Amino acid sequence: MMYSLKNARSAKLPRLAALLVAVAGLGLAGCDDHAGDPKMQIGANPELPALQQYLMPPMRVAKVVGWGKETPTVPEGLQVHALATGFQHPRSLYILPNGDVLVVESNGPKAPIYRPKDIITGWVQSFAGAKAKDANRITLLRDTNGDGIPEMRTVLLDHLNSPFGVALIGHNLYVANTDAIVRYPYQDGQTSIDAAGTKLTDLPGGPIDHHWTKSLLASPDGSKLYVGVGSNSNVGENGIGAEYERAAIWEVDVASGAHRIFASGVRNPTGLQWEPETGKLWAIANERDEIGPDLVPDYLTSVKDGGFYGWPYSYYGQHLDPRIMPQRPDLVATAIAPDYSLSSHVAPLGLAMYTGTGLPANYRGGAFVGEHGSWNRTPLNGYKVVFVPFSGGKPSGPAQDVVTGFLDANNHARGRPVGLAVDKNGALLIADDVGNTVWRVSGSAPKPAS
Amino acid sequence: MQQHATIVETSFTRDADLRPVRRPRGRPIHRMLVSFSAAYFAGALVTDLVYWRMPDVMWERFSIWLITAGLIMAGLATVAYVIDLAARRRIDRPAWPRAIGYAIAVLLALTNAFVHSRDGYTAVVPTGLTLSTLVVIVLVLTALVARALTNRHRFGV
Repeated sequence: MMYSLKNARSAKLPRLAALLVAVAGLGLAGCDDHAGDPKMQIGANPELPALQQYLMPPMRVAKVVGWGKETPTVPEGLQVHALATGFQHPRSLYILPNGDVLVVESNGPKAPIYRPKDIITGWVQSFAGAKAKDANRITLLRDTNGDGIPEMRTVLLDHLNSPFGVALIGHNLYVANTDAIVRYPYQDGQTSIDAAGTKLTDLPGGPIDHHWTKSLLASPDGSKLYVGVGSNSNVGENGIGAEYERAAIWEVDVASGAHRIFASGVRNPTGLQWEPETGKLWAIANERDEIGPDLVPDYLTSVKDGGFYGWPYSYYGQHLDPRIMPQRPDLVATAIAPDYSLSSHVAPLGLAMYTGTGLPANYRGGAFVGEHGSWNRTPLNGYKVVFVPFSGGKPSGPAQDVVTGFLDANNHARGRPVGLAVDKNGALLIADDVGNTVWRVSGSAPKPAS
Repeated sequence: MQQHATIVETSFTRDADLRPVRRPRGRPIHRMLVSFSAAYFAGALVTDLVYWRMPDVMWERFSIWLITAGLIMAGLATVAYVIDLAARRRIDRPAWPRAIGYAIAVLLALTNAFVHSRDGYTAVVPTGLTLSTLVVIVLVLTALVARALTNRHRFGV
């Protein structure tokens, strides 16, 4: 009898332990973020708080609800409608000289599991629509009469390998798959390409391929291609060997396929564009995660030949990141602070320097930025298209919200903006990879006098 | 043959030990699982120490998988403990110091799993390495204290 009594007492212990574990878990998850106002981080000199390290990094993805009958919201003087719907994860856009719109439908390669964390991350991100069925093709839309409703829709290229960047030089169409740039012959007005592509050069691909999107931009004379190659990790946790020639902007010689590193230390450069006034190369970049809701701000910057922008050793110049060992004080000393902060975790993935005439004149010369939106910050940040005014080849004021409504009142995602392009009539096109739509923002017809 | 041996052992135990009539049956499962988890946590300390001296990500990955395996084993050990109680299998006595020490070690290891899930060097140095060391110290102390108590009171031999 005494025996069973003792048993009953000690049986409480595992339960107590289980309770303690559960309470500890809740405590960790409930940590307050104290996220600051993103407005304090817009522009040339963002406020940079002290870095913090988490026990359990926040993961907050907006639940996907779709658009239903809703459309994005635009300010007065603009109107928006769906150019086309029913895509599979449209990520980037490219306009051909005849006005045809190329929609790159793409998704990343399957991420390998290196740590238990990778299982959890993959699971959480699947809620954000990142694991949608991937088409890996380029769809062509043709709107001959310019009314914003395409009369023709064909598949230009199919069975690609996680494509993102597209660039046309003469009669050669270059497609940046995640692991190579491939050249296809293209004739004006062509609506489907059957020819097998020719590989121009390999790009850093798998097996990790953490940042898989390879953006592409041709030089004005058509002799060079610039390629945005993202890092293979958040902050070098897959080993510095995995980062060979990554977190960089490549300059590829079109004739030979040879390349050199044009700029480095840019964690995930996309949206390569020529600034119209100065002709300089500009890019947007996604900065590192897990050191706070307000670190590190994503940015828009001019890209200097030979420039080093800090990753992974430092951010915004000489702010050291303790998570990388061994450190490189020699490189950190040369690190360039980017030109313009877009605030933290907005995830810019589309850039369009506006030179058209279809939108009101105040947008001319400035930059539109597609902010895919945060997944690890409370409150959410991004999920919109902003406009950064430029003057004299440099950003000249705070970013303004232009296309919003990607989140509904409950902070559920109707869609998420990614790649941007300006069509032949000067309308802004937005790829929405969660709403699976391409939106077209144009100047509204003058209102009748009332 | 086996039946015969069992009978002999049983009768011998009864003769030697004048404890109550109801006695535990069979070998407890949880003890083996506890040993497994302790071995995993000790392994994580070794890989942490190697990473500290030579920061190659391979060692950090070893550590987090070892800690995770240790935690899974600890979870299974908890389940097995309940089953052992229900089946009235033999529990090492005294139970309290062992259970408290083990619970502290597992909670530290759980925290350590989160620390080791950080990216890069600070997943290990200094917090992760410190926690790995603490887990092993707590496990060793628990074993020593439990053994000392067992010997003193001749519990559960």
